[in-house]
Amino acid sequence: MNRPQSQPTGGTATPPPDRDDPGLARERTALAWTRSALTMAASGVLIARAAFVGHLPVLGVVIAVAMATLSVLTWRNGQAIYRERLEACMPQRLQTTAFGLLTMATVLVAGSAIVVTVAI
Amino acid sequence: MGESRSEPHTESSNACATGPKTAGRDEPPEREGPLLRRWLSFSARRERRLEQTGSDPDPRFTFANERTFLAWNRTALALIAAGLAAAQFLKFNLHGLRLIIAVPLIVLGAALALASYLHWEDSERAMRLRQPLRYSWMPRVLTGGIAVIAVCGGILAVVDRLVH
Repeated sequence: MNRPQSQPTGGTATPPPDRDDPGLARERTALAWTRSALTMAASGVLIARAAFVGHLPVLGVVIAVAMATLSVLTWRNGQAIYRERLEACMPQRLQTTAFGLLTMATVLVAGSAIVVTVAI
Repeated sequence: MGESRSEPHTESSNACATGPKTAGRDEPPEREGPLLRRWLSFSARRERRLEQTGSDPDPRFTFANERTFLAWNRTALALIAAGLAAAQFLKFNLHGLRLIIAVPLIVLGAALALASYLHWEDSERAMRLRQPLRYSWMPRVLTGGIAVIAVCGGILAVVDRLVH
């Protein structure tokens, strides 16, 4: 290196090359999936409880089972990302299906929440 | 910059081929049957089409986009939960009044969930085509929606007290 070290404060935020990336983005993403799973479980508890309060026990059980399944799947998706999405093959793994399912599930949750809300 | 740390989980090269997809295949017990299967194949086709668009962006950008989607989805779930809480814990004298607060919150959550998916797809396509990202209208809708619902809640509380 023949360059003097007097000007390293330029602040040009050039991203590091991919090979040196220690995978923190992936870790953050996996944590985001985990948070999503936790939120899913928490709101599942809320909605199921509200269904029981509103005298809809069958709906409450269905919602509880569905939300438990969903949060386990969401959590597992995050784990899969953390373990298996290597830098090399990452771009092939778009999450369209998982996102679509998550979106559909959220809309279904909203629908049952409205039903429960009216029933309370 | 960190040293290039080699991942210990490099068992096989096709490990990523059977990743999250299998996790998402068996989904909620509410909706099984041909509808779900047809939708899954539709979504797989959509995914392939998106993957063939342009060229792969920096993986970190893909991850960031993914986190953004998840954050919006959590926001939507939180709105739904807030609507439920409003329905359960608001005690108006007129029993139906709490629906005016609760239902818009839940509907806002559902709309944001749908919009966040569309925004994710939009951003992914733009990144693959090296185009500028479009601004999302979701923050505006979220802010406006919460403000309107809060004002309605205040007015309803006053009206409810006056009528009583």
